[in-house]
Amino acid sequence: MIILENDRLEFRFPDVHERARCAIEFQRTLRIPDDGNDYPLPPGLGSFPLRHVDDYAARLPEAWHRRGGVMTPMHQAEALWISFHSGYPFAVKVATGKVCAVTGDAWVDHLNRGPQDYLVLPDQPWLDGYCVERGIIRQFVAMPLGEGYTVEEQLTGAAQHGGLQIVAYPMKAGRYEALLGRQARLADEGPVYYSESPGMGLAPGGRMRQHLERDHHRLDAWDQRHGSRCFVSIVNTAQWAAITGERPPTEPPSARVYTEHGLPWFDYYGSDATALAGSETLQGVASVAQHAKAAGKAPLPGNETIAVPHVVGLGGARRRRVREPAAGGTWA
Amino acid sequence: MTWLDFDGNVYYIRHMTQFGPTVRDIRERLRRDDRRYSVRQVAQRVGIEPAYLSKIERGEVAPPSEATTVRLAAELGQDPDVLLALAGKVSGDLQEIIRKRPRLFADLIRQLKEAPDEAVLRVVREVRDGDW
Repeated sequence: MIILENDRLEFRFPDVHERARCAIEFQRTLRIPDDGNDYPLPPGLGSFPLRHVDDYAARLPEAWHRRGGVMTPMHQAEALWISFHSGYPFAVKVATGKVCAVTGDAWVDHLNRGPQDYLVLPDQPWLDGYCVERGIIRQFVAMPLGEGYTVEEQLTGAAQHGGLQIVAYPMKAGRYEALLGRQARLADEGPVYYSESPGMGLAPGGRMRQHLERDHHRLDAWDQRHGSRCFVSIVNTAQWAAITGERPPTEPPSARVYTEHGLPWFDYYGSDATALAGSETLQGVASVAQHAKAAGKAPLPGNETIAVPHVVGLGGARRRRVREPAAGGTWA
Repeated sequence: MTWLDFDGNVYYIRHMTQFGPTVRDIRERLRRDDRRYSVRQVAQRVGIEPAYLSKIERGEVAPPSEATTVRLAAELGQDPDVLLALAGKVSGDLQEIIRKRPRLFADLIRQLKEAPDEAVLRVVREVRDGDW
């Protein structure tokens, strides 16, 4: 089951194991320059609000109600990253517009191993974008559907779904207990109506250094009879207030302004040996800047190349994996 | 430390909730791996005096305000509701929820007080999965 708690999706599987729970939240962040350079990890600037779609059904298109789930507001061209919290092992699939963010393949509920189309928790603390090369992702950037920017539109030719899709499968209880036995020391852890427009989708932005970890368990370790999935619709911030009566979060600062204030970026050191290879399909998708250039449009504002002098390393298994401006160690 | 006048007697009591020792245990455990979890640095990040945090941990003063407890929970990677409960407090947002429909929620909580976790989870609202 999935519940919504403090803007987090909490996945719980009490039928599988009392500890089988994980939380997923969507972090606001800087949009990194889409200039061909590889950037470190930007900070988390707080979580995006999440609301039940059912609570606003009268103000939303019927298609949104049909798919259920939750919704969140994003500014056009705003970036996000997905934060995972779990002490119990999970296999989690993430898609945008029903295209897998790891492989670029069309969405299927089940897990695949060749190539691996899912992330493994708690090894993977976050996902910032599409896996385009080994150790490199392209940042998730919100763009309106219908303009051809999103991965969904570029790969399927349709702007049908938008949003984000997630399914989580817990490890089988027996496997977990066996793992726990082997790793005992580590286990300590007035109605307004909108058209049928599907809102916003996610497109690939700038390049970032991030490892997506290879699954070191066997595929049959995952309990695929007990998955829970969720559709996260993305609402343009301009519509959010009219739908919910709440003010959306303000726009995050530009990467340049953030960096000029001496605030930290982050690096999390993974091993190339355990990182997934990038998807050739996703590598072939044009980034927002490439797409704008090809279409003769102006690039997004704040896309100039920046130097990042202050990078905080988050390596080491025992270090807290916190990406906050205030978590920058000695900078404060 | 608190002095109470009760039936003509004066009692010296320490704030012997589990709050202080729990905070100390968690912080000390984190400090073993990361020196940023010293009393001084944690207090600084939470926005209180190190001496005050030290007294809180020893149970010499009452647990701090809700806002400080929530910041402390975030700093230590703990669930804020659990730390608030240890401090004998209920978070402001929960109080607001109960105040809006007091009879309904009082009834609900009493009905569920002995229920096992699975039964409580059954009344928790799930995120509905639809057709997509």
